[in-house]
Amino acid sequence: MKLKEYLKDQLSFIITFILNIMIILLMLTTFKVEKNLIIAIIFILLISNLYYLFFNYFRKKGFYQELLNNIELLDKSYLVLETLQKPSFYEGKLLHQALYDINKSMNEYVKNLEIQVNDFKEYIEMWIHEVKVPLASLTLMLHNNKKEEKNLNEQLRRIEDYLEQVLYYVRSENAEKDYLIKETKLEKIMNSIALKNKDDLLENKIDLIVKNIDYQVLTDSKWLEFMMNQIINNSIKYRKKETNSYIKISAIEKEKKVVLTIEDNGIGIPQSDINRVFEKSFTGQNGRKKSKSTGMGLFIANNLCHKLGHKIMIESVENHYTKVSIIFVKNKYYDVTK
Amino acid sequence: MKKILIIEDDQSLCTELSTLLENSGYNPIILKDFQNVKEEIKKNLPDLILLDINIPYTNGELLLQEIRKEWNMPIIMVTSRNNELDEVLSISYGADDYITKPYNPTILLLRIGAIFKRIEKTSIIEKYKELNINMQKGIISKGNQEITLTKNEMIIFNYLLTHQNKIVTRDELMTDLWNNNEYINDNALTVNISRLRSKLRDIGYKDMIETRKGQGYILT
Repeated sequence: MKLKEYLKDQLSFIITFILNIMIILLMLTTFKVEKNLIIAIIFILLISNLYYLFFNYFRKKGFYQELLNNIELLDKSYLVLETLQKPSFYEGKLLHQALYDINKSMNEYVKNLEIQVNDFKEYIEMWIHEVKVPLASLTLMLHNNKKEEKNLNEQLRRIEDYLEQVLYYVRSENAEKDYLIKETKLEKIMNSIALKNKDDLLENKIDLIVKNIDYQVLTDSKWLEFMMNQIINNSIKYRKKETNSYIKISAIEKEKKVVLTIEDNGIGIPQSDINRVFEKSFTGQNGRKKSKSTGMGLFIANNLCHKLGHKIMIESVENHYTKVSIIFVKNKYYDVTK
Repeated sequence: MKKILIIEDDQSLCTELSTLLENSGYNPIILKDFQNVKEEIKKNLPDLILLDINIPYTNGELLLQEIRKEWNMPIIMVTSRNNELDEVLSISYGADDYITKPYNPTILLLRIGAIFKRIEKTSIIEKYKELNINMQKGIISKGNQEITLTKNEMIIFNYLLTHQNKIVTRDELMTDLWNNNEYINDNALTVNISRLRSKLRDIGYKDMIETRKGQGYILT
């Protein structure tokens, strides 16, 4: 609150005040009042009015300055009301009450939305579990009938993959409640991913080369499995048709970190796209070549990585290779509690 | 024949599951009355239970605890709930394994087989015809003749051995190999089988592994 602006705002009062003084001065001189008395009267008037003006200024300044300051300081400025003292002047009280009411109604609105979103998420999760049951029946039916099942199985697997993607997207948004971090063997996770993608890999003649992954890391195994599956799915999708494709998976330990690397010799990612692959719905040049790209896989993987405290990095040369690394930090606190 | 109790409320999944188990030489029983699960178990006394988490009247994890109070037959949790917490809870309540739907049928059978094998603690040395087979060391001997198999060859031979009298598909062999962290490709499987054959030939079993065209292999 600036004094200049305040005085400008109080202009009408100041003008009236000056006019008043002039009129009183005029009247007093017309009635030939003693000079000293005139000075005294004018002085008293001046003091009392100026006192009123500045007293008012400082009273308001205290409240408004605090309001503006706190809005700037808080990262959630809608909480500002909680930090203020109730003002002593009427205008301020009105404003305070209005802000309080607005806040309250907004809170109720947001709360309702939150409930709706959560209900929806819960429903989606439940729905995914429901859909998996008929999917399981279909898989068994195909197996029991022993017909030309390869193609049908592949389609089922695609449905399953897309379902997983939705599931983990929902989970990554309100992840706080359903992850569990514990010591997990990379080998075990690798095994279930390999089995999941076995048909795809063999069908497309992609060699899976796994070595040196005999490490334990702190993670949620289901989430890590999902992330690695997304990366490997990408490697399968964006392979080079003409050469012998491979996917190499290995890990090393350095400086209290375990780095897991997944490398392929596929079509790679253009330099212009590589910084954006973790963005939501980003498909890039490669995505446009393949119609099946949703641009969600790496986005979700990256999100989950952040939640788990891992780091994910990608490096690629177009037409040569793509290399994705996941970095697991060893947690000292965990070692202490062991 | 081993009795396997299926506790699962989806009808078509139950039927398919029991067909699968029947084809693999088990005796599947489908639970009908979800209100008296314990009675049903007492009546049938299965060798193994496949238990779903989402079942009517109760919840798989609670039921698991109930069953564990009285019996200790192996229990495999089969569920569509794919999260770590459920898995850890189930295992801590005494489940022997945890598989999520939809599962690869061959893998389900492998897991069941593995559990039975663990319980029976079959001696390391198995016999087939005049052969003594030492799984752990990867050695097959006949009299004083001896051949050493690589890990892959042993996995293949073992799978054929446990599925005698049955045609084994290449896909099944592949699944078992991958299940044992051997991620080999199609050519490598062919090479491994022909090497295994020539090793068997060396000790006088020329056509022990017979090829059934378009179907797979069978141990003769």
